[in-house]
Amino acid sequence: MGKQISIFVENKPGKISKITEVLGKAKINLKAMTIADSGSFGVIKIMTDNNQKAYDVLKENNFLVSLQEVVVVEIPDKVGSFHKVAKILEKNRVNIEDAYGFITTEGVKAVLILKVKDVKTVEKILKEKGYKIIDF
Amino acid sequence: MKQKQVHLFSSDFWEKEVEIIERKILEDIQLEGLNCSIEKAKKSEFYGEKLKNIKKIKNFEDIEKIPFTTKDELLKHSPFSFIATDLKNIVRVHSSSGTTGRSKYIFHTQKDIEIWADLVARCLYMVGMRKDDIFQNMMSYGLFTGGLGLHYGAERIGALVIPSGAGNTEKQIELMRELKTTVIHITPSYLLYLAHYMEEIGLSPSNDFNLKIAIIGAEPHSENTRKKLENIFNINIFNCYGLSEMNGPGVAFECPYKEGLHLWEDNYYMEIVNPKTGKILEEGEEGELVLTTLKREGMPLIRYRTGDLTKIIKEKCKCGRTHRRIQRIKGRADDMFIVKGVNIFPSQIETVIMEFPEVDKNYQIVIDRKEGLDILTIQVEIKREFFKGDINELRNLQEKIREKLKERILVTPVVELIEPGTLPTTTGKAKRVIDKRRL
Repeated sequence: MGKQISIFVENKPGKISKITEVLGKAKINLKAMTIADSGSFGVIKIMTDNNQKAYDVLKENNFLVSLQEVVVVEIPDKVGSFHKVAKILEKNRVNIEDAYGFITTEGVKAVLILKVKDVKTVEKILKEKGYKIIDF
Repeated sequence: MKQKQVHLFSSDFWEKEVEIIERKILEDIQLEGLNCSIEKAKKSEFYGEKLKNIKKIKNFEDIEKIPFTTKDELLKHSPFSFIATDLKNIVRVHSSSGTTGRSKYIFHTQKDIEIWADLVARCLYMVGMRKDDIFQNMMSYGLFTGGLGLHYGAERIGALVIPSGAGNTEKQIELMRELKTTVIHITPSYLLYLAHYMEEIGLSPSNDFNLKIAIIGAEPHSENTRKKLENIFNINIFNCYGLSEMNGPGVAFECPYKEGLHLWEDNYYMEIVNPKTGKILEEGEEGELVLTTLKREGMPLIRYRTGDLTKIIKEKCKCGRTHRRIQRIKGRADDMFIVKGVNIFPSQIETVIMEFPEVDKNYQIVIDRKEGLDILTIQVEIKREFFKGDINELRNLQEKIREKLKERILVTPVVELIEPGTLPTTTGKAKRVIDKRRL
């Protein structure tokens, strides 16, 4: 089962650099990042090579963090591969609440992160279709 | 849960005959006290001039003929002009806790100090303090009356007093643990901070201490704050009212029923007046509290405008005390701020915030003006355990707080959610309201 980290941040200069500083010092590699903004505050989501450790060091440094279960699925880095996954989930009536991704090997592999209600079921559905599920 | 012996609903009195005195007799004492105080006051330079045409009053209606004494007058005149006795009889001076501008100075004779100590002892005994209690006084000592005022009262009862003063949280907690403190005197904002700090260092406020009672004063606070704190510490918390001009703490105090504060009418004559017109209001109507000292020798004050808004509770109290109660102070007239023409008290905002378990106990009110429009911003800290990473949840919370506030204060505020631990926590009077409009 994959995990992602959400960090609550006030909308102020220097907030992101503090996060990256903490992660860098702990030798954690940042894989992907998205920001949802809501005026005076926002929620930053990150995916790293060691999410548990990233969560722990951020918490130690007084960040307001939370760890969520997400589906992390490997897909080929080519046209239409996200569409295939989306289609499978549509057929199974799964709602994607949030999604983002990153490329692991240019032109070969990419990773898709999906926030869904029932992570286990979605993982099972995708595994049955031959997809590789990654545990971060 | 460990055993906690609380003298709740105790029928014991410190001075029973005075506390349950018949109203008729009490009123006679008050009328005599008023005349006596006026005569005494006239010996001072200030009142000698101000009250020179005032004759003996025959009934309480006559009091309306006597002019008010205001804070401004205290600030404007020389401190010594209020002393109604020979300076050699004065043994102590206290000063208002205000930090801006000039201070008000209040002078006491030896007898004044003794009467005050007895009055505070009456309050502390009422809420359950006894000889075997260990009392940690976390108010600042010195010119501020919260420290020495309660100190003398607790000693009068015979409790063991720890004069810890305000601040130095680590030391306070050490003292509480080592000396098994049972009663504390503290500001509500510092008590909140203390709870926060204890949890942070892995101590349980309700289980790791011997605390039974907390007396909170010096800052207006809501009933919800009290309840929240009582739950966190699993203790009884009592509200205390006083102002340095009237000695300090001990003017009015809650009894174990916690339904208003008994104002000691053998020591103070109280009126509730319309803050704008100065007209005396009917019993039970809300207005500004006006007090006259009935026993003070060093510096009698006549019809002093406290600036505090409250009302008299008409009903007799179940505890048997006949001294009338006042409602918890709604706010000091000077705590109130006006946004978009609406009068708002920080306590109204606090009440709303305390209704949301998702936010922490600390908050801040910021008032600004942009393009001629007032902007009221309420900053609240999110609780760690509430954050699940979902931005919609946060937006909903923000919206709910905003709607609730709008309903209560009639102004739509901006609600800002902020990270826990970012707002300044003070160990004295919390600075909750920042008004940038005046800068």
